[in-house]
Amino acid sequence: MNSLGELSAAHRRRRARSILALQAVLLLILALVSLWRMLSGDVDISPSRIVSLLSPFLPLGSETPLDAIVVRSVRLPRLLSALGAGASLGVAGVVLQGLLQNPMAEPYTLGIASGAAFGGALVISSSVMAVVPAAFIGALFAMAAVYMLAERAGGGRVQVILAGVIVSAFLSSGVTFLKAVADERIGAIVLWLMGGFSGSSPLSAAAVWLAAAVSFCVSWLYGRHLDAVSLGEDVGASLGVDERKLRLLLLSAVSMSSAVTVSFFGIIGFVGLVVPHIMRMLTGSTHRPLLSCSLLGGAVLMAAADGSAQMCNELPVGVITAMIGAPFFCWLLARRRMSNL
Amino acid sequence: MTGPASRKIERAPTIIIRNLSVSYGGDTVLRDISSGGDDFSPGRLIILIGPNGSGKSTLLRTLCGLLRYEGSVTLGGRELRTYRRKELGQIVGMLPQHTAADISYSVHDLIGLGRIPHGGLLSSRSEADEEVILEAAGAMGVERLLFRQASKLSGGEMRRVLMAMLLAQDPAVFLLDEPSSASDIKHAALMFSMMKDLSSAGKLVISAVHDINLAARFADVLVVIKEGRIMDIVQGRDLDEEILGRLYDVPFELFTSSGGERAWHARRV
Repeated sequence: MNSLGELSAAHRRRRARSILALQAVLLLILALVSLWRMLSGDVDISPSRIVSLLSPFLPLGSETPLDAIVVRSVRLPRLLSALGAGASLGVAGVVLQGLLQNPMAEPYTLGIASGAAFGGALVISSSVMAVVPAAFIGALFAMAAVYMLAERAGGGRVQVILAGVIVSAFLSSGVTFLKAVADERIGAIVLWLMGGFSGSSPLSAAAVWLAAAVSFCVSWLYGRHLDAVSLGEDVGASLGVDERKLRLLLLSAVSMSSAVTVSFFGIIGFVGLVVPHIMRMLTGSTHRPLLSCSLLGGAVLMAAADGSAQMCNELPVGVITAMIGAPFFCWLLARRRMSNL
Repeated sequence: MTGPASRKIERAPTIIIRNLSVSYGGDTVLRDISSGGDDFSPGRLIILIGPNGSGKSTLLRTLCGLLRYEGSVTLGGRELRTYRRKELGQIVGMLPQHTAADISYSVHDLIGLGRIPHGGLLSSRSEADEEVILEAAGAMGVERLLFRQASKLSGGEMRRVLMAMLLAQDPAVFLLDEPSSASDIKHAALMFSMMKDLSSAGKLVISAVHDINLAARFADVLVVIKEGRIMDIVQGRDLDEEILGRLYDVPFELFTSSGGERAWHARRV
């Protein structure tokens, strides 16, 4: 027993160390990506000047210099927005995949994106300009519809996925309809749907980080309950976890955070799908470490993708996430399969 | 006896069933079941037998509080549906027939999930939990598997790991659905002696079992279920060809060894 205890303690220490190491590596990459993002742009600003401009106590005199505006109002909000959006989508992907036990689950396959798209497209085509709130309401409306539809159909996990697919399809056709009748506004709709971080503001950065923080904290608290329900509905329940309550709580949390992301930055797929899978291969399925690693991984991937998008003449960032994400993911899948043989 | 079963000495609550009916998917699976005062009481190993689809699993899932029911089920004198989920998790534990197939937790983490009902939201596993985990693994003979990935276990190993998880949960009531399915003979024997130990330590152990000979040999109480009704409640040693014949609608033949051990086989019809 004693030696088994020691073995087990050693095993747990090793596990904790390897997760810490992974987090340290992710933080390091995050720092490098952030440095790159703060340095890159049309205006040349030296690293030391950037550091001094980031300090809120720097006296600037009566007229704000151009480089201060660039750093404080353009680059920093854009970087923080991309990091926050990636973090939020990474966490949402972990929660949805764990909760529904479906590797395909992510915010966008569950109708959130098409809800936001429909809400946004609706106000653009009717020329009211409150696009962000409209998209937000659209996303929440879509999630509520998915949830209620799934409950009416029996409330199982598969029903949630199916309801998501159905609501998505319905709202996507709604977006197509709006485009078809939009006349000259179709350009504005298409541009908005492509999404991206070039329009980031301090407000968008703060909103997306607040949303990411709330959804991360709630999910982390219920991390062990997520572990339990992922063993099957009966096991979760017999371990004292009320799956319906858990689902309502966590779906609300991640829908809210994803809705904030989508309404500010448009439809950026793949991060919420791929990041949890990559992190699961590295850390295993236990949800608490998986959540923190996916938060970091999502942030890194999104900021790097946004940087590449900017370099490619402001391509939509969703194009980049899919272009980097898909091949990398394939490579990982193939590699894992080989090592299993 | 050593093992987690010996930790709690207080007696488990008794379950009393009155006019229980359960339906789902439009079908009535259990019809108007009632139990006597001490049919489902702790201290004796209670085994459910019956053909596939007779309602054994449904009865276990109902007793675990997983299904809506009509009629009355009391656990320790209190109606089952008035328990909150978390409360129930501390009292009742179940080994379901089916679990998610692809679980990439380590066996150690998996057994540790059994401690969830005993901790708050913020808590992670304590040192005391760690001791319980190792003890449970030892009791089910899965120490060597502790640091393996659960997704790489065989079916029988997985059943034993899940049973260890249940021991770590340390409920007063154990509901086991085919606990020895997919087990080899040695581990089936381990599972049955574990059930026997748990029940004689004062736990309420109710288990659905497919193998009538193992059931008859180990059960103190046999609950015979056919077509959603309790057909008979007998002592393990009172099982006979007549009951089996009525239950499965095939004639049975009794074989007796020189040591007096009995075994039944269905006769070819």
